[in-house]
Amino acid sequence: MTERASTDAGAADGDRAARRLKARYAAERRFRALGLAAIACSVAALLFLLVTMIGNGMSGFRRTELRVPVDFARAGLRVEPARLGAIDALPALRQAGLSQVLGQAAAASLGPDGAAELDPDAWREVARAIIADPGLLQRRVVLSLPASDNLAAAQRGDGQRRLRPLATRLAAQGKLVRAWDPGFLTRADSTHAQSVGIWGALKGSLLTMAVTMALAFPIGVLAAVYLEEYAPRNRWTDLIEVSISNLAAVPSIIFGLLGLALFVGLFPSWRSAPLIGGMTLALMTMPVIVISARAAIGAVPPSARDAALAIGASRIQVVFHHVLPLAMPGIMTGTIIGMARALGETAPLLMIGMRAFVATPPAGLTAPASVLPVQIFLWSDEIDRGFVERTSATIIVLLLFLLAMNGLAIHLRNRFEKRL
Amino acid sequence: MSPVIPLLLVLGLATVGWLVARARARIFRRARPGGRLDSRPQYHAWFVALCAGLPAGLFALAWSAFSPGLVVMRVLQAPAAAALPAEGILRDAILAEAGALATRHATGAFHPLARTLVPAFEQAIAHYAQVGLAVTLLLGFATGTWAFLRLRPDFRARTQVERMIMAALLLASLAAILTTFGIFASLLAETWRFFRFVPPGDFLFGNHWSPDPMADVGPVATDSYGALPLFWGTFAIGVVIAMLVAIPLGLMSAIHLTQYASPALRRWVKPMLEMLAGVPTVVYGYFAALTVAPAVRRLGEALGLANPSSESALAAGLVMGIMIIPFVSSMADDAIAAVPAEMRDGSLALGATRFETIHRVLIPAALPGIVAGIMLAISRAIGETMIVVMAAGATARLTANPFESMTTVTFQIVAMLTGEGSFDHPATLSAFALGMVLFLVTLALNFVALRVVLRFRQAYD
Amino acid sequence: MTTYHELDPVEAKIAARDVSVFYGDQQALDRVSIDIGTEYVTAFIGPSGCGKSTLLRTFNRMNDTIANARVEGEVRLDGVDIYRSDLDVVQLRARVGMVFQKPNPFPKSIYENVAYGPRIHGLAVNRTELDAIVERSLRRAGLWDEVKDRLSDSGTALSGGQQQRLCIARAIAVDPEVILMDEPCSALDPIATARIEELIGELKGRYAIVIVTHSMQQAARVSQRTAFFHLGRMVEYGKTSDIFTNPREERTKDYITGRYG
Repeated sequence: MTERASTDAGAADGDRAARRLKARYAAERRFRALGLAAIACSVAALLFLLVTMIGNGMSGFRRTELRVPVDFARAGLRVEPARLGAIDALPALRQAGLSQVLGQAAAASLGPDGAAELDPDAWREVARAIIADPGLLQRRVVLSLPASDNLAAAQRGDGQRRLRPLATRLAAQGKLVRAWDPGFLTRADSTHAQSVGIWGALKGSLLTMAVTMALAFPIGVLAAVYLEEYAPRNRWTDLIEVSISNLAAVPSIIFGLLGLALFVGLFPSWRSAPLIGGMTLALMTMPVIVISARAAIGAVPPSARDAALAIGASRIQVVFHHVLPLAMPGIMTGTIIGMARALGETAPLLMIGMRAFVATPPAGLTAPASVLPVQIFLWSDEIDRGFVERTSATIIVLLLFLLAMNGLAIHLRNRFEKRL
Repeated sequence: MSPVIPLLLVLGLATVGWLVARARARIFRRARPGGRLDSRPQYHAWFVALCAGLPAGLFALAWSAFSPGLVVMRVLQAPAAAALPAEGILRDAILAEAGALATRHATGAFHPLARTLVPAFEQAIAHYAQVGLAVTLLLGFATGTWAFLRLRPDFRARTQVERMIMAALLLASLAAILTTFGIFASLLAETWRFFRFVPPGDFLFGNHWSPDPMADVGPVATDSYGALPLFWGTFAIGVVIAMLVAIPLGLMSAIHLTQYASPALRRWVKPMLEMLAGVPTVVYGYFAALTVAPAVRRLGEALGLANPSSESALAAGLVMGIMIIPFVSSMADDAIAAVPAEMRDGSLALGATRFETIHRVLIPAALPGIVAGIMLAISRAIGETMIVVMAAGATARLTANPFESMTTVTFQIVAMLTGEGSFDHPATLSAFALGMVLFLVTLALNFVALRVVLRFRQAYD
Repeated sequence: MTTYHELDPVEAKIAARDVSVFYGDQQALDRVSIDIGTEYVTAFIGPSGCGKSTLLRTFNRMNDTIANARVEGEVRLDGVDIYRSDLDVVQLRARVGMVFQKPNPFPKSIYENVAYGPRIHGLAVNRTELDAIVERSLRRAGLWDEVKDRLSDSGTALSGGQQQRLCIARAIAVDPEVILMDEPCSALDPIATARIEELIGELKGRYAIVIVTHSMQQAARVSQRTAFFHLGRMVEYGKTSDIFTNPREERTKDYITGRYG
């Protein structure tokens, strides 16, 4: 090779270089295309998941209803008004024969075969309506009652063949309709896809989250303040830091095992209660809050601290009057993200027994409850088409909650970044 | 027993303490020549309020947790309790029903005996509620008075209050250690009990897994507790299949987004990846069971496999891989961003193409960070529960065929603990032994990965 | 607006005409015209933020790596406009090498650092040729004797001055025609600096060398031509001896006598 290879290179050499350059650019293009394909794959997976859930789930907000006219005034349903206000109003109405009254009205309107396809839990909905408005008992009304799962399937064109003519007939008469089901958001679990609702699980989730928040937020923020502002550099502090970063990466199911061995062991009567669930999830969420709170506190400029210290504030006052308020949006962002993760968590709650069939919304923190993700898990075992729709609809509700929380977190983060 | 009423009373007591202490501190101040105290009156007030409120409040909480046990013990001494069966589930059920009736949580009882116990319950509950309330108030009053008597014009109330706050901060940060210790201790205790039934060697290296939680505890068939097939299933699904999906897709996405993508594309894709990361695992599990598993089964049929299973390692692994994509991509993103820009410029200035720069400079330089990220991703994949519970299957087998169902450690933990098995049965205890293995493996992965990341960051600072 | 001193006519390797650079809305360089030849070392001096590094980076289009940078005007290398749309920036950078302010060896072995450029450009057909290129480049960079026994050690394990000479060897290995040096000694101690300056003297004539420096003394020592920049404009350009002994512009005088930051 001469001193300057490129200048006095022969034509053949130049040709070779050109070919080489072409190959290098081809590799560049291939690589770019590969990267784009990877992104497309990931996005496609997300879209496919969402489309599947929305496609299945939108019809989960509807149900198949039978329109049945009932004349309560003539049905002779005798219940003392005082009992309707009592805690056992539901059993009272049942004893008074509400179920039979509905059955007779259905038979008169739909025929005996139609009446047989009334959802067995239909009377409960009517009973709740009566408790809410006792005046119903004096009126003649057209009730929208859930059809049985079988009839609902027949109306879709699958399920038992023998019911299809009945479904066609009733639908033609306008007595069998597919209608929006706002009750889905206000009822609790049931054994029939037609009469299930998610309020029970939603309320359980909210109660559980309240416990988690009440425990994890103060502990997490205080621990972060200690580690970031006061902790001396020593072996103990190192140990705390190592355990926090490791806890943040421990599989959630391990927290479930701890919850089972510790909390359920200590308070066996609160098994599957939001209190225990919330405590278990708090252990899981706390490290996440500590980590993000430390980052937010660390991002507060030292000038803010120095200014306060210079006018004679104590170190506690500096932190609680100046540093924490400035760091709060950042802390909230991390907290919301941690809470969103806890809201979607299933495995640890299965461990502590929150997988029971709970047909009434939990009355309090110590009552047995379900939560949204566990409800999804429980219904996912049902192969009935109705349950598939309901499960997907529940997923949509859960995802909407998570989306709202993440949106809030992103909003806070943007505001936080602007301020600092 | 609800602690709400005692807690409200404690709060009232603390408020009274706060007001009285502040008034006293103001009197001190007026009496002082310079009109200045060592601490402002607020701190005197807070000192007394905290002293009065904290011990009493903690006692009220503890009482509400432990008094139900006392109530039952008192009920059992009542004459009506003599009719109870001596032991077993019926006795517990009757007691529970009676308790629910007495607290108006239920309206009816299956056992007539429960109704006869209600008065005893009501009486016991009322008794212990009164006792608890009295002790709470006395305690609060005593500690509050003690604090109040300590107030002097030269009392350093602020230092005292700040000392209490510091103690609270320290306690809060100890919660992490306590949790770690709690996990370790509870796993260790149950694992120890399990190893009394099944020798560790048989558990770790046996290749046959079929515990029967309903079998008699008596002589245990130790050869049905070989966890090797579970470890293999976990490895095959979480490490092999999931990583085959997640590493290429996550890594390539991160590289393209950081090195090539226009700001507009980045603005759209980043939130989408974040959304992928935010989808709950139970949703992924449902997606796997409902959509992916049947598709994989059809694929198996198309490939000519006889009888492909409807639950397969492939379906679970694929979906798990999708779940891990954003995780890998954000770790790779961080690792690549940590490589100094001079390194990239140095390569570009030599006339390297972007691909050559990425391939020969950026990735080698970011490799420790990327590897650490992948280790964290693996630790996450093997700890993932819901996807495998819903899509991987329960059959423990050592097979290399991804179309067959495999089972994992997490699946078996759920399976062993959600039945009706008692805590003394080796099948139940085996879940804790599996949990111990999982905990130690993920701990090791996390520990090493965090070390690598730390070193890597320091290298470029 | 620029004062040009009397200069012997030379063949311009790089000819910049009315070059302006913008970063977003901010203008960093305002209509600069300058010729760079192979026979001598050209120094760019001026206070920080004056645009000297920006101009340097337009010569090998490293400004492309900054997202919102925009270049106006013309830069010609051997008469060819390097901002032409069909120009291949990869080939351009192979001809115009660059040495950065902070030594930036790749985290690879010394050998691989130098061999990197020849490898990607396919300058060597076999290992023997590659070895020869590596040795020649390291020799020219004056590093060979210090590292010949440990070519497989990591480049990042060398001292700062050695790292910078390694980066120079890395740039030379591609056999460029121009070498751009962006404050190559600012991170080095005096002894290492002296070694690099010596090296620049040895490389002069073989490559067109442009050096950006904040040290007047260094510019005076190593360069034959000097351009003084201020606030994005080139104030004065001429023989280094003229600029330092007889500056015509008041601002230049202030700067080189230290009256200006």
